[in-house]
Amino acid sequence: MTLVHEQATGLGAKHGQYHENSLRALVSQTRVQTRRILLRWSRDLTAVIEALVLPVLFLLTLNIILGNVISQVTGHSALYGTVPLNALAATINGAVVGAIGLIGERSDGLLRRLWVVPVHRASGVLSRIVAETVRIMITTLVVLAAGMILGFRFHQGILASLTWFAVPLIFGLAFATLITMVALYTANNFLLETVTLVHVLAVVFSTGFLPVDQFPKWIQPVVAHQPMSYAIEAMRGLSMGGPVRWPMIATLLWAGGITAVCIAPMILGYRRASTS
Amino acid sequence: MTAASTIENHPSAVAQWWVLTKRFIAPTLRNGELVVTIASSVVFTAGFYIPLHQVMGTATKTLCSSYAQYVMPLIALQAITFAAMSTAFRAATDSVQGINRRFRSMPMAPFAPVAARISAAVYRCTISVAVAVVCGYVIGFRFHHSAVYTAAFVLLVVAIGSILSFGADLIGTGSRNPEAMTPLLILPPLIFGLLSTGVQPAQQFPHWIQPIVRNQPVSQFVTALRALAGDAAPYGGSVTWSVLAPTLAWLCGLTAFLIPMSAIVLSRRTK
Repeated sequence: MTLVHEQATGLGAKHGQYHENSLRALVSQTRVQTRRILLRWSRDLTAVIEALVLPVLFLLTLNIILGNVISQVTGHSALYGTVPLNALAATINGAVVGAIGLIGERSDGLLRRLWVVPVHRASGVLSRIVAETVRIMITTLVVLAAGMILGFRFHQGILASLTWFAVPLIFGLAFATLITMVALYTANNFLLETVTLVHVLAVVFSTGFLPVDQFPKWIQPVVAHQPMSYAIEAMRGLSMGGPVRWPMIATLLWAGGITAVCIAPMILGYRRASTS
Repeated sequence: MTAASTIENHPSAVAQWWVLTKRFIAPTLRNGELVVTIASSVVFTAGFYIPLHQVMGTATKTLCSSYAQYVMPLIALQAITFAAMSTAFRAATDSVQGINRRFRSMPMAPFAPVAARISAAVYRCTISVAVAVVCGYVIGFRFHHSAVYTAAFVLLVVAIGSILSFGADLIGTGSRNPEAMTPLLILPPLIFGLLSTGVQPAQQFPHWIQPIVRNQPVSQFVTALRALAGDAAPYGGSVTWSVLAPTLAWLCGLTAFLIPMSAIVLSRRTK
């Protein structure tokens, strides 16, 4: 019965329909699936509140306990480091939530079902990327708004401010690829706990938490060269002023490297999750 | 007739609890959860001590023999909170996959699944606190009282962990939403931990937040644990009831709140 129906739509191509692998199908189906993911997320009130409120609370916490120390040591507000820190950390949290949602859909059989209906193969992965982009933009805006209330300002003009927004996006999408790949190959508990621990390390050993010279000497190279620190330094340069070019290049290299390593296993894993 | 034979086949509630506890504990050796539990204590020790001991060390110089001695109770608490909070995720997963519903339809003690999840959390907490103490000794923390106080330190940490995991279990079971449990694992414990007297004395915080910092449960737990651990000669207070009372009151209060809550959450028949 389904088969007949499918053939009918396939044959219907001459009546204004299009082939399942056409670009038009990809665009419209990606839109539909993106909308589905975002709707699902937005209806989960607890998850939305957590994703938006917790980073702001953590920003306040960091500002309360380390704000004075940092402004005494460096001579400028700690916000130029802590706002990017929280925006970037929120992208990682968002990616974990997305990945656990994906695993849930694998267990429910939704991915398999989508694989057997005439849907463009790429639209599943692509819609997740677009949904992740939207989610990163929303959390970044909320963290930024909280930072603005506390005294964060852009000093480098409109172009730099827009580039500032691009950094969490690049960083977040690279890490979403990594986390989704890990999710597709490991158990949920293991994924969640490992990512959480790495997340803690990435946050406290970053230049957004403390200036690099406040760390013990032996760990300073690690702090200075880890991806989160580079992204924070690039964002600091784009908002407050300071070097931008090298931190930006390093962020792109980290993001590019992570994506290059993880994208193929991620897509393979997605295919396996949809077909097995 | 059938009733008699089924009754014969019923394992006792204790046996049921033990089977379910094994269901949680046995895979931890295979799927890497044990490694993660051990790693969590190392991560929290490194994550609090290495970045903060220079910045905070000066503020605590007059209060403690070393920053390791000062921050160690908070490290132990963060490690067990991590172990306890992941119970929420497990409970939500169990709930959403329908395992709880299946358990309810079987002739078993209603509290067995919860008790098993909490036992598994206690197992993780015990490993966490053991590893945290070893890590503490590496950074320079020492127990200065007798073995009884050391045992009391460990017991208090595990007790806090089991009550937290009981609460986390109810949140997870009630929400039936694993995705919503994920952000709870990290930021709330860090926020409570950093806004406590565990990292720096209350006087170092801005004035308006000092009352909250001084009286929030984590600060009280830290004070009690610090007293139980003791300190080198000029520092460190004695273990008195006035030091331990707030902690014990928090724990009793939480238990008194959680038991009726669990009756409500667990008896709810959703889907």
